Amino acid sequence: MATGEPSGTVLSLAPLPSSVTDDAIAAEGVELTYADGTQAVRGIDLTVPRGEFFGFLGPNGAGKTTTIKTLVTLLRPTAGSITVNGFDAVTEGRAVRETVGYMAQETSIDPELTARENLRFACDSYGVPRSERADRIDELLDLVDLADVADKRADDFSGGMKKRLDAATALVHRPPLVFLDEPTTGLDPKARNRLWEYFRRINERGTTIFLTTQYLEEADALCERLAVILDGEIVSAGSPAELKREVGGEILEVNVEGDDPARAEAAEIARSVELFEPGATVEVTENGISVTSERARSKGTDLLVALRDADIPVTGFNVRAPTLDDVFLAITGEHVDTDEGAAPVDAVAADGGDHA
Amino acid sequence: MSSENAAADEEAADITRSGNSFLGDLWVNFVRWNIKAVRNPFVLVVSLVQPIIFLVLFTQVFGQVAAGAVNQGAADISYETYLVPAICMQVALAAAATSGVGLVNDIENGMFEKVLVSPMNRTAVFLGKTAAEVVRIAAQILIIIGLGVLLGAEVETGVVGALGIVGVGILFSFWFIALSNTLAVITKDQESTIIGANLLQFPLLFVSTAFLPLAVLPGWIQIVARFNPVTYGVDAARAIMLGRDVMTVIEVTAFGGIYDTLAPAVAVLLALALGFGSVAVYMLQRASSANVQ
Repeated sequence: MATGEPSGTVLSLAPLPSSVTDDAIAAEGVELTYADGTQAVRGIDLTVPRGEFFGFLGPNGAGKTTTIKTLVTLLRPTAGSITVNGFDAVTEGRAVRETVGYMAQETSIDPELTARENLRFACDSYGVPRSERADRIDELLDLVDLADVADKRADDFSGGMKKRLDAATALVHRPPLVFLDEPTTGLDPKARNRLWEYFRRINERGTTIFLTTQYLEEADALCERLAVILDGEIVSAGSPAELKREVGGEILEVNVEGDDPARAEAAEIARSVELFEPGATVEVTENGISVTSERARSKGTDLLVALRDADIPVTGFNVRAPTLDDVFLAITGEHVDTDEGAAPVDAVAADGGDHA
Repeated sequence: MSSENAAADEEAADITRSGNSFLGDLWVNFVRWNIKAVRNPFVLVVSLVQPIIFLVLFTQVFGQVAAGAVNQGAADISYETYLVPAICMQVALAAAATSGVGLVNDIENGMFEKVLVSPMNRTAVFLGKTAAEVVRIAAQILIIIGLGVLLGAEVETGVVGALGIVGVGILFSFWFIALSNTLAVITKDQESTIIGANLLQFPLLFVSTAFLPLAVLPGWIQIVARFNPVTYGVDAARAIMLGRDVMTVIEVTAFGGIYDTLAPAVAVLLALALGFGSVAVYMLQRASSANVQ
């Protein structure tokens, strides 16, 4: 700011080679197999146009981090071709590293250094000219609201402050493309919102963003386009709205008192009352029934009335937006647990003894 | 239009250059590790305390007895003078042992990966960190020499000799710095790295010419001492301290005076630095490519 730069160019696009196409990322047939034989990525095709806010969605262990590390040259693909900012990720690794910012899943800052020193080290790592260094550091400290604590050691910071500092260090060289690997995992909602706001701002200024997340709501709030990865493969891609359409709307959960026949009867009523569109699905759940429909919200009360008329006691109900699990259920027909990995085990157990 | 394109091309060239140079990358990392060292005076002090205790206690407790063994009828050297070069090598060893801990910390707090994803030259990054450790070792050796002189030790070769001892200490530290970093990459664990290096320190010191001349050591220790890097570091530093050839492990007479000790000792230390250094570089390269997890 002190240099008199127009504020609009604070995080403007860095100049790119003239050979660059309109795509920030173009990857084809990317595979990555670890030394122990684990196939983490199995043939991914990806194209991210310049300026897009792109989301890479998937549960733990799906291959999100492996993919992102391959794109930023930390890992070498076993097969396939990757072009980032017009540079080949394998043969022009240094050029790729110069033109991208990367925020790792684990907060990566030097806790023994102050916020300002961390940013200065990042500036020097990326060869930011000395004459611009001080101004750029001040701008970024302002942007992530750490100007007040600029000269305090980072190990005194809260988790959210550390994340913000980490994000700022990924931007010192004004990269035209930024990779964010689950940037809000483990943060409280307030800290999360603050980071979202910040990511939106840099995207509005033209920076392409590649974000991985296991939260559908995060992808929904930020991303223009999404790809869903499962077991190292992209299983679906599209806008958040398109993905939700695959789920088929919102989910109405109705708790019903009584045993299996009562729930089966409730489901029968839900299917027969013609409240919901033909594509809507009705399932019997542990506590009652679950209706997935575009009209879940508007016709929910009508269903409750119909159930009451049939003398089926309703003990509770809830309308909710589809979660990542719902998306996976719609795409693959299988539940995917996004946190502990307990659900798939249960699912197998419930199937019976077929599995060895 | 064409001039605009030319300008764009120039800017494009700018970003691929990124302003980084090998020396610049080295300097940036040197500065970072020096800041961290100053922020952690505890490490600086602790790695000095034990050698200082050794220096004071050994000279006070064993001084009388050891001086006899050291001199064996030859010129009269105080045990202080005899011991200071050994304590200098101990300081180098103790400081080098903490090198890997810094690397483990970097791996744990994500800075290792952050550096790898930056356009910095990886060799320069590692050399910058090592250079900061070397500065610390040099400062600590100078402190020990100063303390030794206060206790009555004499540096026969004067100030130049004292600087020579610092040089030997630095050269001697390389193999142990490399070993400490190799342990760090293999274990990726602070405790294992520091314990591994510390466990080695004391046997290495005692089974060498550090505290007594080779001739008065028991037979099996003499054999082990010949293969112990500490013997070569201590002998080189001691030759400078006493101003004469002290090496009995490899007898060389071609150079005359202290160089009959320095030449073979420096050759062995260089070979050790290269050998252990290559292993460390190989392990670091492996850690920085396929197995970043």
